[in-house]
Amino acid sequence: MRAKRRFTIAAMAVGALGMGVSAASNASVVKATAAASSIRGQTINVAIAYPAPKAELAKFTAQTGVKVNWNYIQWDSLQTKIAAAAEAHSYFADVADVDWSKVGEYYATKWFLPLNSYFPLSGVKAQYPQAASFIRNGKLLGMPMDASLLVTTVNEKDFKAAGIKQDPTTLAQYEADLKAVAAKTSVKHPLDIPLAAAEGLSTYWYEMTAAFGGQVLSSTYKPQFTSPSSPGYKALAWMVNAYKTGLVPKANLNMQDYQALETDQAHNLTASVFSDYSGDVGTIYNVPAQSKVVGQVNYIPTPGLHGVAPNLGNPDGIGIPAQAKHVAAAVAFIRWMEQPANQAAFAGANGAADVISTFPLPANRGGLADLVKSGKVPGAATLAALLEHHSRAIFPAGAPPWYAQFSNAVYTNIHSAAAGAESVSAAISAIASTVKGLAG
Amino acid sequence: MSAIRRRLTRGPAIQSQTIRRGAGETALPYAMVTPLLVFIGVLALYPTVLTAYGAFVHNDALDPPNHFTGFGNFQSVFNDPQVRQSLLNTGLYVIFGVLLSVALGTFFGLLLQRRFRGRGVVLALMVLPWALPGVVEGVIWSWIYDPTFGVLNSTLKTVGAIHNYQLWLGTHQIETIFFISLVQVWQITPLAAILILASLQAIPGELYEAADVDGANGWQSIKRITLPLIRPGLAIAVVEGLVMSINIFDQVYVLNAGASTGSSLMSETYQITFGNLNFGQGYALSLLATVTTIVLSLLAVKLIYRKVEF
Repeated sequence: MRAKRRFTIAAMAVGALGMGVSAASNASVVKATAAASSIRGQTINVAIAYPAPKAELAKFTAQTGVKVNWNYIQWDSLQTKIAAAAEAHSYFADVADVDWSKVGEYYATKWFLPLNSYFPLSGVKAQYPQAASFIRNGKLLGMPMDASLLVTTVNEKDFKAAGIKQDPTTLAQYEADLKAVAAKTSVKHPLDIPLAAAEGLSTYWYEMTAAFGGQVLSSTYKPQFTSPSSPGYKALAWMVNAYKTGLVPKANLNMQDYQALETDQAHNLTASVFSDYSGDVGTIYNVPAQSKVVGQVNYIPTPGLHGVAPNLGNPDGIGIPAQAKHVAAAVAFIRWMEQPANQAAFAGANGAADVISTFPLPANRGGLADLVKSGKVPGAATLAALLEHHSRAIFPAGAPPWYAQFSNAVYTNIHSAAAGAESVSAAISAIASTVKGLAG
Repeated sequence: MSAIRRRLTRGPAIQSQTIRRGAGETALPYAMVTPLLVFIGVLALYPTVLTAYGAFVHNDALDPPNHFTGFGNFQSVFNDPQVRQSLLNTGLYVIFGVLLSVALGTFFGLLLQRRFRGRGVVLALMVLPWALPGVVEGVIWSWIYDPTFGVLNSTLKTVGAIHNYQLWLGTHQIETIFFISLVQVWQITPLAAILILASLQAIPGELYEAADVDGANGWQSIKRITLPLIRPGLAIAVVEGLVMSINIFDQVYVLNAGASTGSSLMSETYQITFGNLNFGQGYALSLLATVTTIVLSLLAVKLIYRKVEF
């Protein structure tokens, strides 16, 4: 309960509402321990940035008697709704998206209930390769809903046409291969970087920094990119240079991530995405209705400075907002979402019927194994291996509570540097200055 | 003075009818506007009062507790270089948006005043951009502006105006703002044209006939008759342009994302409120936008609006 509310009528109203919410949350926790039969007949609202798997959802309702209103809301809009509802202390949903980048924020604001009492940490850590992204100071703020990695994709047909016989394993080789593709094929700007001032540009830089052998922030949130010899600095300079030298299409200066992937890579205007999203081969490039490169794009181990680089994780989770009305039913729903067979089905193990469009990979090892065994999703085995052996969290200490402000500084300054409005060193200084202001 | 008004002030029978109506039905007009007043009160006035109150409270979700801070939020936002940049940008959006939409609205209004075949269809089609959501317009125009295969580049190159395809957005501040403004102008010009057309159609034809008899040419008729008599329509069109330009968001977000070259007051408010989670500063910027809109609109009405009676 926040203290010191000095303004009489409005403040008292807010305080009363806050106490009501707190009491309701406690009551909800108690309710959640009740027998499963107590949830039968309840209706829960779910707000997720994925479309609903309608057939699978009907099975959940048949099993539990819980009706689910699945609200598919675009990611940006969903985050706004979560924040607006939390600020107003009003009910929004019983289950909502918990993105990896929001975990620090939710830990600080207490906008989501810790799930430790429903999902023991030891089991979660053992079963979920990216569990750490959702745990802060021992509190589990969301269950991993999918596994997602920043991965490298290449158009093998273009690479072969350029005379490249082996996938690149180092950054130097990767750059040389891109230049060869530009020189010898019709793809004159082969590298896809979404340079619009938006989140996708920030994550691209994080992955590029990892490929140069470093990370952007230390475990105490100190900038690790200020020295010109640091991986973060080199990565930013490499990206800006790639744009200025024409490796990246001119139009990408104003393209956001999926806009660039769907316009460039899926239409063969580019031949490689260094920091792509796991799952895009199946959900974008191999979909004939929206792609001209069906069967041509593959995942490759991400090239690093001296060999294969780590793949940073950017998973989505699901959690229970503090104002949820039906916590027990919400927990039952999350358990159902987490079942390995369902996770595999969402990723396409049963074919198109149960798939969730754009769902990258199952979050847990059981689901991953089922998916690979099914053999129905191209590149699943490669991704599962990358997840197990090369996956790493973007921030060693988890996303900071001020991540949104940090990312804003990152993408606005990289965009400015690419546009020629400021130098690489000025961009680095501006980002570092923001971090110092935020982290103290 | 209109015929109806003349009749109302003449005959005693009509006067007594007016008095009887006033005595018997005084409450009716109030009853009819009450739902609208309740609607405006709940959905506009109440949130405005809350916003005004919130603007003076420190309310940062990442830095509780909330407390009264006086003008602290305003001080913080004005010290933020990104906010200052967005205020400057918004000023440019207002200049481009208002001038272009009113000038084009007047031009199209004058064109549409003439009777021609298919005029009804043109009028119906004109409403289309106004009816489209800003995000959809942003996407459509992102294709038009595309530096690889956009129709703007292709047209300009065909007519020899440019040698190479250009990047229209993101590199230069004024150029970026101008091209984003064009998208909004495309959206709001139809409404401006229709408002001005309505004013034009109210001008009695006798005035033009008299001017013609007196030997006035076309431009003199427009200057001496048309422009002074469409001032009510112009005033509303200017206010519409002001409101839309000060609050520009969708087009900025789709075409230029979060880049400072084109950031607007609203895009910065969105970032501060829902990115930084600093609701107090968000309220302060919202209040600033509201007050600026009201002040500029009142000023525009005072300068442009004149009561016109025929």
